[in-house]
Amino acid sequence: MKPEDLLYATTHEWVHVAADESGGKVATVGISAFAVESLTDLVFIELPEVGRQVKAGESFGEIESVKAVSDVYSPVDGEVIEVNEVLRDDLERLSQDPYEAGWVAKIRMSDEAALAELMDHTAYQKQCADEAH
Amino acid sequence: MAEERCRLIIDTPRSGALNMALDEILLDAASVGGAATVRFYGWTPATLSLGYFQAHSERDSHSESHPIPLVRRATGGGAIVHDRELTYSIAIPRGHRLAARPRELYDAAHGSLVECLGEMGIEARLCEAASPASEGQEPFLCFQRRAVGDVLCGEHKVGGSAQRRWGDAVLQHGSILVERSPFATVLPGLADLASENIKVADLRDEWTSKLIAALGFVADEAMWSADELQRGQQRVETRYALKAWNLRK
Repeated sequence: MKPEDLLYATTHEWVHVAADESGGKVATVGISAFAVESLTDLVFIELPEVGRQVKAGESFGEIESVKAVSDVYSPVDGEVIEVNEVLRDDLERLSQDPYEAGWVAKIRMSDEAALAELMDHTAYQKQCADEAH
Repeated sequence: MAEERCRLIIDTPRSGALNMALDEILLDAASVGGAATVRFYGWTPATLSLGYFQAHSERDSHSESHPIPLVRRATGGGAIVHDRELTYSIAIPRGHRLAARPRELYDAAHGSLVECLGEMGIEARLCEAASPASEGQEPFLCFQRRAVGDVLCGEHKVGGSAQRRWGDAVLQHGSILVERSPFATVLPGLADLASENIKVADLRDEWTSKLIAALGFVADEAMWSADELQRGQQRVETRYALKAWNLRK
């Protein structure tokens, strides 16, 4: 996925929305390259349980780097239908390919209202630039 | 440029559960844009803290600390015997430049500590190479691990810190070993290494102004409000005193 085509939360999660076979909307969620880089040296991730109902802005996972524990927040409302199990044993994927192989979870959306709160790539880039200075 | 101010809390020693709860209260405030806070504190009784993701069963490997109570931190890393040490915490609110730069927050705290120790005649330095082992194979005690930026005196680690990030806010807390604890005799403190009679309060007084300056703040000394203490006590009862939290792994 191209970073330019994604939506972003202020807490640095990215979202890609696509229709599933039944016409429902599924959000693939990951962590932006900017956030992954600032965490440095990832050592552990706690993924959400499949089947869990989540609300936008709710912490649904945690990630530990050598010295910091950070929450991962759901950017949308819905049900977690799949998680990237590979990350449990291979967090390098998150560091090396945050927008493809490093995706975190897929959420079947129950409501699309939360998408309006997300930023496009340009706005997110501006947020990152502001944080870096 | 306008002065950036922070609250400075020189706290009294408290239980492990209340100490962790009060640090979380500071992070709560920072996560909604409240004041930056620097806090110094101690522990009574001496307490073993586990890193957030550390398995409780690992404690079996360290019999010396079995007599003292346990609390799980909200931050990562290894276990710490909080006894004859100086403990600090820093809460940085969302939107502040340091909240987005975890490395700079470490560097400000640890760099100013090395400078402070130097002025006290104690040669210390920042660790330049991490432990080679992966997380799962690392020693139980945090002070037997090495991460880049840890504070070393000779080959001994005497200062280490860890962060918890909630949204865009960050809490960093850390420990400086002042004297060897009978509950972790393998770890010498500054007084043991320098063969000097160093007091926790003296180190705190020497370091405070350097730490505040390194963070870029002007400090307003304060104490907890009654409301904060009440919410801290509630957080003890709903989290830090519970087996469901402390034994969660």
